[in-house]
Amino acid sequence: MDSGFIALITMYLVASVRMATPLILAGLGEAVSEKAGILNIGVEAIMLSGAFFSFIVAFFTGNLYLGLLTGILGGILVSMIHAVLSIHCKANQTIAGLALNFMVMGLTSFLFLIVFGQTTTIPACNMFGDLKIPLLSSIPIIGPALFNQNIFVYLALIGIILTAIFFYKTEWGINLQAVGEYPQAANSAGLNVFAIRYFACFINGVLGGLGGASITLGQLGFFMENVTSGRGYIALVAVILGRRNPIGIFAAAMVIGFSQALQYNLQTLGFPIPTQVFTMFPYLVAVIVLFLSIGKSIDPSALGIPFERNKR
Amino acid sequence: MALLSMKNISKSFFGKMANSQVCFDLEPGEIHALLGENGAGKTTLMNILYGIYSRDSGDIFWKGQKVSFTSPRDAIAFQIGMVHQHFMLVPTLTVSQNITLGLKEKGYPFTDRKALNATITEVAQKYGLQIDVNAYISNLSVGEQQRVEIIKLLYRDAELLILDEPTAMLTPQETEYFFEVLRKLRADGHSVIIITHRIPEIMSISDRVTVLRDGYNVVTAKTSDISEQELSRYMIGRQLQIIQREAVVSDTGSEGISLEEVSLKEKGRERLNSLSLQIAPGEIVGVAGVDGNGQKELVEVILGIRKQSSGKIRMDGVDMSSMSVLERKKLGIGYISDDRHQDGLVMDMSLTDNILLKTHTDRRFIKHGLINTRLVRAETQKAVEDYAIKTPGLNTPLRYLSGGNQQKLILAREMAGNPKAIIAHQPTRGLDIGATEFVQQQLLQHRSNGCSILLISADLEEVLLLSDRIAVLYKGCFMGIFPNTPELNLSQIGLLMAGKTSEARKESL
Amino acid sequence: MKQFGKLLSYLGIAFLTLSISILLILLVGSSVTQAFSSFLSGIFGSFYSVSEVMVKATPLILTGLGVAVGSRSGFINIGAEGQLYMGAIAVTFIAFWLNDLPAMVMIPLVILGGFVFGGIWSVIPGFLKARFGISEVITTLMFNYIALSIVGILVRTLLKDPASSLPMSAFLPDGATLPTLISTTRLHAGILVALISVVLVWLLVWKTPTGYEMRAVGLNPRASKCAGISVYKNIILSSLISGGLAGIAGVCEVSGLHHKLLEGISPGYGYIAIIVALLGKNHPVGVVISALGIAALQVGSLGMQRMAGVPTSISSIIMGVVVLLILARKSLFRRLLTDE
Repeated sequence: MDSGFIALITMYLVASVRMATPLILAGLGEAVSEKAGILNIGVEAIMLSGAFFSFIVAFFTGNLYLGLLTGILGGILVSMIHAVLSIHCKANQTIAGLALNFMVMGLTSFLFLIVFGQTTTIPACNMFGDLKIPLLSSIPIIGPALFNQNIFVYLALIGIILTAIFFYKTEWGINLQAVGEYPQAANSAGLNVFAIRYFACFINGVLGGLGGASITLGQLGFFMENVTSGRGYIALVAVILGRRNPIGIFAAAMVIGFSQALQYNLQTLGFPIPTQVFTMFPYLVAVIVLFLSIGKSIDPSALGIPFERNKR
Repeated sequence: MALLSMKNISKSFFGKMANSQVCFDLEPGEIHALLGENGAGKTTLMNILYGIYSRDSGDIFWKGQKVSFTSPRDAIAFQIGMVHQHFMLVPTLTVSQNITLGLKEKGYPFTDRKALNATITEVAQKYGLQIDVNAYISNLSVGEQQRVEIIKLLYRDAELLILDEPTAMLTPQETEYFFEVLRKLRADGHSVIIITHRIPEIMSISDRVTVLRDGYNVVTAKTSDISEQELSRYMIGRQLQIIQREAVVSDTGSEGISLEEVSLKEKGRERLNSLSLQIAPGEIVGVAGVDGNGQKELVEVILGIRKQSSGKIRMDGVDMSSMSVLERKKLGIGYISDDRHQDGLVMDMSLTDNILLKTHTDRRFIKHGLINTRLVRAETQKAVEDYAIKTPGLNTPLRYLSGGNQQKLILAREMAGNPKAIIAHQPTRGLDIGATEFVQQQLLQHRSNGCSILLISADLEEVLLLSDRIAVLYKGCFMGIFPNTPELNLSQIGLLMAGKTSEARKESL
Repeated sequence: MKQFGKLLSYLGIAFLTLSISILLILLVGSSVTQAFSSFLSGIFGSFYSVSEVMVKATPLILTGLGVAVGSRSGFINIGAEGQLYMGAIAVTFIAFWLNDLPAMVMIPLVILGGFVFGGIWSVIPGFLKARFGISEVITTLMFNYIALSIVGILVRTLLKDPASSLPMSAFLPDGATLPTLISTTRLHAGILVALISVVLVWLLVWKTPTGYEMRAVGLNPRASKCAGISVYKNIILSSLISGGLAGIAGVCEVSGLHHKLLEGISPGYGYIAIIVALLGKNHPVGVVISALGIAALQVGSLGMQRMAGVPTSISSIIMGVVVLLILARKSLFRRLLTDE
């Protein structure tokens, strides 16, 4: 094969993986949450919070790992607000997610303005560098894409494997499914439905927060208003396309990442096609996939429905 | 010493007492029946014991030790298990996964499924319970699912098994097999609480019986010391009254409602199989049968909620086989559904709006394309007065009315304008005695007016009480249609309900 | 007593929201009194500022009304944003295509066009829900992004103004623009369109048999089916009206305010619409009140930024907080609401 072609493929693959990383992380978290019956369309808020807090701490301490940790905490904070509303207050999960998007969007840009004021230069922080894994990184094409990347990519890959084991190889996965399908039965079998749902939301916060941090500390090195620019919604799309299966989410995120990489590339090359054609692509595919999966019930039966103990 | 003792348990839902100062004792190794009508508080009491509901007051002692369960997990830890009327099995999981759900078995969370399956099979076989451990729950029959529930409890070493209406979905023969399993369990030292409202079953299986009525416990006695008549009296508070049925001479010139070889196929399964039936004006035809043998399908096909695959349905000679629900209702059919919360009413709408559910397309109530609110309110007011519906006002959402008053509103709506036919599916389900009698009287009243009535009830007694003829429905087929005379052979009806045609024939010889 | 407890709980929410706002203002280091006075003068300070509230409220009333109609029949429309843009596309297309029509014909035509385009964009998810049970929450959300992309493509290709290098259309022909009501302000006839829609929707949903059917289907589809009401037909109909109203919002923004199609004509009106419908309890009158309230909040926060240096994003925070508190109300004020 032509070495130039291989270089091109490698380049796209590397870019796709980078683009896909925040989507994979947040998508895995959302999948855990949805399996337990909690639909959180506030992924955007979780990511935005993660991106903001990781940046602030990384900027002021210069310690990226501390930033990463705070990003996770920021994600957890938002996800747990949604959890309390959905599980304890038995509120409408869609509206709760939407309201969080508003609040966090406002709050992060509000706090950012307070901390940095109206500046012309965008404040920047350090970023995680690429970690080359010996041997594996020298595999052609896949090597550079998967094994010569920053810490977030590795966390995403480990996340896929751990989530897959969690879902399909452990009793925990069965418990999670029971809680999302038929919480009354899970409760009657002695499972703590509330605790399991809170736990699922917690995981969603951790992974979503990481996803947000991966944007500021892994891709950009700065924060600005609405820096996630809809990635939380795209993560929701990846969850649907991947049917809440970790491998599926990875594949979906890669397809979306690839179309994004292509979009940026064509933009810089000055192709006459509007980039919106590519922006639209994942959403179109998602709608088509939903349409094709008609008849197969793919949602957990209790998705979005609060569990009530003393219900009559 | 009693194995379990519940003292002065009280619980109210939204200000309505479900249990008032209930006391209940259980000896080790006994089968104890908890008898009561629908709504007497049996299930509530057991749900409190099992930690599903919290109690308002009272104490629970297990083996002499004071306990308080806040979730089933606590109850399970004390070796108490419960099978609910609606099975608590996750349809997307396998039998084996459901049985061990919530347990921390060896190796948890990486449990060795094969080893578990062997243990499960062993437990099941000990009591003669056959089951495929790798089957998905969604593919199992009701009887099989019940088996899974029992195995689930036994696998958890339940010392006490609480069974909520376990025979509701079973044929008499399946019930007998099920009782054999219970006797084996008792012989093995297990205790069983069986919730039921079927007195003959209590006589055949239980050692002792406790009767609840309106949330109070009325009596506890040894089964051998008490008669069916006494139990029945305790349960309903007095003797069942016999309603006098007079022969109705039908000279209305109407042909009534008729089915000609009506079949229904859904998802490749034969739900109704070539049903033919004619209900004359002034006649009540009762359908006897175990729940789930096509009753709902039959009702919904007649009304057009489901479309029959073949056959014809006529109303007063008019073929309405391909009409919509609304067109059929306009021919003069009233419909009392078995599930008023889901099918019959919109619980979050007012009384007026629920009356509109039938009349909103009626020209009388529409002026210039808009609903004539004044007229609808007048109609509702009339319904409230005629049927003595207790309500704070016409705008009150139905949710805040009692079950009896909700049912009365349905009657008022469906019986308005003297319908030519009434399809009554479990019309007295969940009602107290007074409301039940009211509903039954209303049905008989319309019978006298020359209405053709189809009555479907899981309560054989009710069918016998009201019907002129009785049709037995089993697996979507009519096993026979009999005049309801004092000579009617009840055990033949029972065998037909279980699908035992040949035995039934012998019986009738 | 019950009503009193309910009232107290809402007062509690107002109090908490106010406290959080004060906290945020203090965080900026501004004077609270100055912030509040600038907030109020931002709204009521001048004739112009009051008219601005109406201008902002117009698309919020229309989209909010749309979301409310959808919710009444159980169609959760998260897609008003996309439907608004589809309406905006419709008006632009029609205006340039039939550019010499007189306003008397053109205005009703573009409103109808916007209704149809927005309606179609919502009826597709409605159809998928009614026919196949696919959740409309996700599909409508995705349709927003698709609509935004379509606008992005159109303003760079088909509808691009050749005279400009920016991605936007040329100015609409005069016949297709909604008249300005008061010449010194931006207040346009869109507000009248919105208020007429409110009356029509109220009549339809609360006074006609069709509206009754839609509400019955929303509250109990199964009982509706048993009563002979078509669940399918009513979800289709309500999703059409729901999206159609959002489409009209797009028409009003383009015809009344911007007079051309460009990206970003809506700063998330379609999402705020969901809050508008929620606060307005899905009732037309409630929608008008809550739309005016949220528009005032946004206009007032502009004043607060100008005069007290408080970032406008505070309005977004307050909206989120109010909704979260309302969702948590029954748990937060359990003692007050024992009867509910």
